[in-house]
Amino acid sequence: MKRSKKAVIGIVAWLVAIVYFYPILVMFLNGFKTEQQAVHMPPSLVFHPTLHNYQLVFSSGVFSYLGNSLIAAIGSTIIALAIGVPAAYALAIYKPKHGDDIFFWFITTKILPSVGVIVPVYIMFRDLNMLDTLYGLSLLYIGMNTPIVVWMMRSFFTDIPYSVIESSQVDGAHGFALIWRIILPLVRPGLFATSLLCLVFSWNEFFFALNITDTHAATLPILVSSFMTSEGLFWSKLSAIGTIAVLPPVIFGWIAQKQLVRGLSMGAVKG
Amino acid sequence: MENIQSRMTTGRGRRVTTRASHQHPKQRYMRLILPGMIVVGVLTQIPFLGTLYLSFFRWNLLRPSQGIKFIGFSNFARELSSMQFYHATLNTVVITLFTLVICLGIGMLLALLLNQPFWGRGIVRSLIITPFFVMSTVSGIIWKDIIFDPSFGLFAWAMRHIGMHPVAVAQSDPMILIILVLSWRWIPFFMLILLAGLQSFPEELHESGQLDGANGIQRFFSLVIPHLMRYMEVAIFLGLIFILQTFGTIYVTTQGGPGLASTNLSYLVYRTQVQNYHYGLASSVSVLFVVLTVVGLSFLFKNIRNRFGETLR
Repeated sequence: MKRSKKAVIGIVAWLVAIVYFYPILVMFLNGFKTEQQAVHMPPSLVFHPTLHNYQLVFSSGVFSYLGNSLIAAIGSTIIALAIGVPAAYALAIYKPKHGDDIFFWFITTKILPSVGVIVPVYIMFRDLNMLDTLYGLSLLYIGMNTPIVVWMMRSFFTDIPYSVIESSQVDGAHGFALIWRIILPLVRPGLFATSLLCLVFSWNEFFFALNITDTHAATLPILVSSFMTSEGLFWSKLSAIGTIAVLPPVIFGWIAQKQLVRGLSMGAVKG
Repeated sequence: MENIQSRMTTGRGRRVTTRASHQHPKQRYMRLILPGMIVVGVLTQIPFLGTLYLSFFRWNLLRPSQGIKFIGFSNFARELSSMQFYHATLNTVVITLFTLVICLGIGMLLALLLNQPFWGRGIVRSLIITPFFVMSTVSGIIWKDIIFDPSFGLFAWAMRHIGMHPVAVAQSDPMILIILVLSWRWIPFFMLILLAGLQSFPEELHESGQLDGANGIQRFFSLVIPHLMRYMEVAIFLGLIFILQTFGTIYVTTQGGPGLASTNLSYLVYRTQVQNYHYGLASSVSVLFVVLTVVGLSFLFKNIRNRFGETLR
């Protein structure tokens, strides 16, 4: 490849990336501007940053939403891993007779839209006093995340060369020790990426949160949407809330981007 | 009992040497699989059966005097003969198709670009995939306010700059706004999967193509595209199941309006249940939506099972 051609491709790619990322950058910068600076067009990249918006946001009860988001995301991810990883392991290593059917069934549950279950879920939660509770919300997220765990982890387990398992068995590692000492370390990157993706999906989930939470268990996406309708004119304050809401999933996403492709493509492709 | 041996064999046809255990091996692995199946079944399949059941009842919370009454297929008849259902179905199809085509096209171009070597490729890739991890309510703020606000938005500023009158995009072209926001979010995902496909393309194929005298474009269409089919199918399948049920983006940008102009099926279910308290009717819309989804997917992926099944062996 000629040097000049390589330089042109680099410049084009960087331009595309900057244009693509620009809306997020503007929001991020707005969070550190005054309201007047935020609506000034075109957005200036040079300004005197202020933490005023963040002080406002942190003093107006963002913490309860943040806490709810954290608990629902982390809780549901841990439980989804606890029940999804063993299933994925069994499907990949033991290759049971109807393993393909079972695996495919897990995938088909992702085809069912959230609205397909919302009416009975709402009624059940109402009758069981689970509306507006974190464990109710987490429960729904477990149902949402477990198929993703099975789906992704199965392809990571399948990648373990059979000879590794066989030779460890010859060395006398069995059952729990085999899984804990030999197999889990081998799939650690995959396990890590799967956990991060589940965290991101639950953290960003909006439909269930909107329908079954109210004040006690409301998560960050709910805060953002209610804020938008009530105080949509306060751009810099909105931007500060938005930045707090997207920072964790964006960082997790950046970390997990490589494994994401591999795990999500159902083993049909290698990323 | 007759084929425990064969069941315990792995894909490579060798037998696992397990210690003699008192347990039936089949029970051993089912013990690992069942908890996941039960939890997912209870949380997804059973509520759906509940939706199906409710769809045959008239149950309107605003009219408690009517009670809960079995009315057979009346809810379905009512929805299927109503304009709003057709509107919502049409909008769902339009949003999904346009978004998928845009994501495939631009995702492919970006994947080709990022497949070239240049300085800072990892950073560029990270910047481009960022929107995929941004929650729908925040993308709503960014696009509805910061970019398309009729008085303070970037777009309005640009329009005024070239001497045109700014328009309120959320009112005048709500569907375009939604497709734009969704595309912005899903293009990176398509790019990621297609990039993985390009990077797994065997180099010797390129060389043999060159020897046969095929130019770059010919090589792309005759060699690269067939190789990428697999990857495209995966991206389309995954993108489809999420884009079909778009809700948050619509909720924060247009509220399904003006009128029904940008109401899709997810939003229609939400409105019927939450704003009109018509539980039976909302359930019947859900059921129709699920049926349409499954029919649509089966139509697109006649052999999805075999497609993905091949790799399961």
